[in-house]
Amino acid sequence: MSAPTSSFRDGRGFDRILVWITLGFLIVFSAFPLVYNVIMSFQNVDLFTLASFDRPFVGLDNYDEVLTRNATQIIVRNTAVFVVLSVAAQLSIGFALALFFQQRFPGATWLRGLFLAGWIMPGLVVGGVWSFILAGDFGVLNWLLQTLGVTDDKIFWLSDPSKSLYSVIIANVWVGVPFNMILLSVGLAAIPDDIYEAAELDGAGRVWRFLTITLPLMRAQLGAVISLGIIFTLQQFDLFAALTQGGPSNGSNVMQYWSWELSFQDYRIGQGSAVSVLMILVVIGVAAIYVRSTRHEHAA
Amino acid sequence: MLRDERLSQYALLTVALALVATYLFPVYWMYVTALKSGNEIVAWPPTFWPADPDFAAAEVWERLQMATYMKNSVIIAVGVTLIVVTLGTGCGYALARVRSRWMDVVLFAILMMQVLPSSLMITPIFVAFSQIGLLDYPRTAVILAQAAKVLPFYVVLTRATFIQVPKELEEAALVDGNSRIGAFLSINVPLARNGILVAALLIFLQSLGEYVYSRSLIQARAFQPATVGLQSFMGPNTSDWQGVMTYAAIYVTPIILFFVLLQRQIVSGLTSGALK
Amino acid sequence: MNMQIEIDQIDKYYGAYHALKSVDVRIPQGQFVALVGPSGCGKSTLLRTIAGLETISSGAIRIAGADVSSAPPRQRDLAMVFQSYALYPHKTVAGNMTYALRLKGMNRAQARARAEEIAAITGLEKLMDRYPRELSGGQRQRVAMGRAIVREPQAFLFDEPLSNLDAALRVHMRAEIRKLHDRIGATSVYVTHDQIEAMTMADHVVVMRAGVIEQQGAPLDLYDRPVNRFVAGFIGSPAMNFVPARVGDDGGHVILDLPGSPRLTFDGHRPAGEAVIVGLRPEHLIPGTGDNALSLPIANVERTGSATFVRTATDPDVMIAANDRLAGVTTGTITVTIRPELIYLFSPETDGALRTG
Repeated sequence: MSAPTSSFRDGRGFDRILVWITLGFLIVFSAFPLVYNVIMSFQNVDLFTLASFDRPFVGLDNYDEVLTRNATQIIVRNTAVFVVLSVAAQLSIGFALALFFQQRFPGATWLRGLFLAGWIMPGLVVGGVWSFILAGDFGVLNWLLQTLGVTDDKIFWLSDPSKSLYSVIIANVWVGVPFNMILLSVGLAAIPDDIYEAAELDGAGRVWRFLTITLPLMRAQLGAVISLGIIFTLQQFDLFAALTQGGPSNGSNVMQYWSWELSFQDYRIGQGSAVSVLMILVVIGVAAIYVRSTRHEHAA
Repeated sequence: MLRDERLSQYALLTVALALVATYLFPVYWMYVTALKSGNEIVAWPPTFWPADPDFAAAEVWERLQMATYMKNSVIIAVGVTLIVVTLGTGCGYALARVRSRWMDVVLFAILMMQVLPSSLMITPIFVAFSQIGLLDYPRTAVILAQAAKVLPFYVVLTRATFIQVPKELEEAALVDGNSRIGAFLSINVPLARNGILVAALLIFLQSLGEYVYSRSLIQARAFQPATVGLQSFMGPNTSDWQGVMTYAAIYVTPIILFFVLLQRQIVSGLTSGALK
Repeated sequence: MNMQIEIDQIDKYYGAYHALKSVDVRIPQGQFVALVGPSGCGKSTLLRTIAGLETISSGAIRIAGADVSSAPPRQRDLAMVFQSYALYPHKTVAGNMTYALRLKGMNRAQARARAEEIAAITGLEKLMDRYPRELSGGQRQRVAMGRAIVREPQAFLFDEPLSNLDAALRVHMRAEIRKLHDRIGATSVYVTHDQIEAMTMADHVVVMRAGVIEQQGAPLDLYDRPVNRFVAGFIGSPAMNFVPARVGDDGGHVILDLPGSPRLTFDGHRPAGEAVIVGLRPEHLIPGTGDNALSLPIANVERTGSATFVRTATDPDVMIAANDRLAGVTTGTITVTIRPELIYLFSPETDGALRTG
C-alpha cells in the first residue's frame, strides 16, 4: 500500500526546488542581463533607441570604437596599474599584519578584527573621508609628508592627472588590507605549531622558517587571496565616484568606471556594454582560475 | 624568564595598538572633522583635536535631508536582505547536502555570478529595467538588482554553515516522521541560525552602502539612499567638509557599532565562507 | 511466522557501484537481528534502506506486510539510533523525546507524559530539561534509546550505537539494550562491526561482505557451522586458524602443510589426495598430549591472566588460546590436541566449507 509520495515533501525534489528558487532569480536578474549585455554590445543603443526592442545591429562597431579611442590606452594602462599596485600593496601589508597578529599577546584576535571596520564601511563614505585626507591645500596627508620631510610642496592628489590614480589606489589599499589580513591569518593559523618547532630544533632561524615553511605552506592561501584581491579590485567603483570621477582627463579612469561613464554620462550605451563585456570576460577568467584551483586542492 | 615574556607581550600589545590606531586614523579623522567648524577645518597645520567642538549633527540631519536618505537606505537594505534570506537559505542548504555533478555545476555558476561587478552589470540592467517599466519603481529596481548581486555571496556563506550541521540530525528527524521541509525548518535552520544571521547581517550592511545601482536607477531625490545623497553634496569643489563628515559619521556609526558588537561572529563567518 | 520486516531480493547501486547484491532477509516480529561485517560490507547501507534514508534500485521492502519500498522514512514508522546518536542539540532531552510524538499530532502534555514514562524506564527522569551538550556519553546514548522507545515503532534500527562508548560501558549497554528489547517485545535490527556484540545480543545474525550476505542464522549456528572461510574467520575471537593441507590416503585425515607434516584425523571422509584448507579454532587446540596431537615451535606467549595466547613460529602461524596459565611454556615447542569433530575443511578454490558427511 505504498502511498504515493511527492518528491518535494520527501525526496530529491526538495533540494532541486530550493536550488531552482535561487537559480531562477539569478537567471532573471544576473544571467539574463549578462546575455543582454552581449547583445547590446553589438547594437547601437542610445537615448533614442533605449526603449526600443528592435535596435539596429552594428556588428563590431562598438568594440572598434572603444578600442581605438585616444583615451583607451590610458584607461587600460590605468586599470592594470590600479589592479597590480592595489593587490601588491594590499597583499604585502595584509600579510605583514597577519604575521604580526599571529603572535601571542592579550587581545590579538580582537584588535585584528578591528581592522575589518575599514572593509565594512560603505565605499562612498571611505571615499569621502579619503578625499578630505588627500585634499591638496589642507589635507592631513600632505601635512604628514611635509612634516616627515618626504616632500616640500603640497601634492594635489586629486586634481593632478599624474597623481589622481594613486589617490584612488591609496584608498583602495586601505579598504582591501583587512580582508587580505584576515584570510591570510586563517591560513597562518592552520599551520601546526609543531612544524615550526621541528624546524627550530633543526636550527632554522626566523627568516629561514618564514621562507621554507610559512611561504610554501601558504601558497594556496596566497593564490586565493590574490585572485580575490583582483576580483574585488575590479569591482571597485565607489572610490572612483567619491574621489576623482575618473578624472582629471581620464588620469584616474579605469575600465569598470569608464563603462559606467559611457552608458550613464555619455549615453553611448552600446559602447558601455562593449567595455562591460570585455571586463566581465576578464573578471570571470580570474574567478574561474581561482575556483578551479581551490577545487583541485579539495580533491587532493 | 616569565617577566621577559610578560614584557614582550606588553611590547607587542603596544605595537598592535599603534597599528590599529594608524589604520583607523581615517575613521578618527572623520569624527574629529565632524566636530570642527569653519576655519579650523582648513587650518594649516591641521589640528588633531577640535579647539572648539561643534556638534552639527542635528543641523546637518535637517539641512541635508538625511531622514529621507537614511530611510531609503534602510528600505533598500531591508528589502535586499529579505529577498536574499528567503531565496538563498534553502539553496545554501541544498548545495551543502547534495553532492553531485549537477550541484557542482550550480555552485560554479553561482560563484561566477558572485564576482560580476555592479558597475559592469548596471548597463544591461538599466536598459532592461527601463524597457519593462521597472524604473517607475526605482527602489524596487535597486532592491532586485542588488539582491541578484549579493545572493551568491549569501548562498556561499550559508552553505559553509550548513555543511557543519551533521547529516544524521536531519536523518533522525526524517525517521522520526518529518518531511524534508519540516526537517529543514525544525532542525537545519535552527542549528545554522548563527551563520545565517551573520550572513544576513553582512548582506544588510553591504546593501546599506550600495551605490552604483542606486545612482543609476533612481532619478528622484526622494527615493535616493544615503550614498547617493552623500555623493551629491561632495562635488569636487565642496567646502562644507563639516557637513560631509557629519553626514558620513551619522551614516556609518550604526554600521561600526553593529560591527564592533558582532566582530567575532562576522570574522568567523566571513572566513569560513570565503575559503571553503 | 509473522514477518515484521521482509527484505526481498534488494539491490542497491550508487552509479556503477553495486552496494547491495540480492539481499534477502526475513525478520519475525520480536526478533533481534544483527547485521555484521567488516567496514564497507553494506550493513549500514542495508539498515538505511530499511529506514528509507536510501532508495533501493530493485527488490522490495515490507514492514508489517506493507510494501514500503518507495515510501519516505516518515511513513515507515521505524525508530533509529544513530552511531553519533544524532540528538537534536537545540532541544532538551524532553524535546528530543517528544519530537516524533508531536509530529504524530500528540499534544504537548500527552507527549511530555509519555516521555516521562519512558524516561523512568531508561533512567533519564532527572535529565529531562538538560541539553545534549550537558550530558555524558553514556547519558546521550540513553537519550538516543529513549527517543526511539518513546515512539513505539514497528521496529528499532541501531547503527553501531555503542561504538562511541568506552569498553566497560559498552559491555554494560549491550546487556541493557537486549533487556529493553525483551521488555518491549520489539523487533530490532542492529548494525555492528563487532562480532562479539552480534553474537551476544542477537537472535539472528546476518554476516555480510561486499554487499552480499555470506550467511545468516542463529549465532551459535554460525560459529559451529560456518558456510565458508570468511564467516569462519569473522565469527569467533581470536580468529580461526587456516592451514593448507592435503587429505591422506584413507580419506579420514589431513596432512598439514606445517613443519613435520603433522597428521590430524577429522570426522568423516574426503577424497584422498584432495587439497584443502583446514580450519582450527584457537580455543579448540588444547595444550597437552593425546590423540590427534600437533607439536609446533613457539614464537611468543601472551598471558592476560584469564587466558593465554600462544603463537607458533610457523608459516602460516597458528594461534592457540588456552584458559589456563600454561606456566613454564615460553619457548621450544608446544603440543596441542584437537577433537576430530572440531576440524573444519574448506575448499582452497571456492573458500566454501567442505561436507565431510
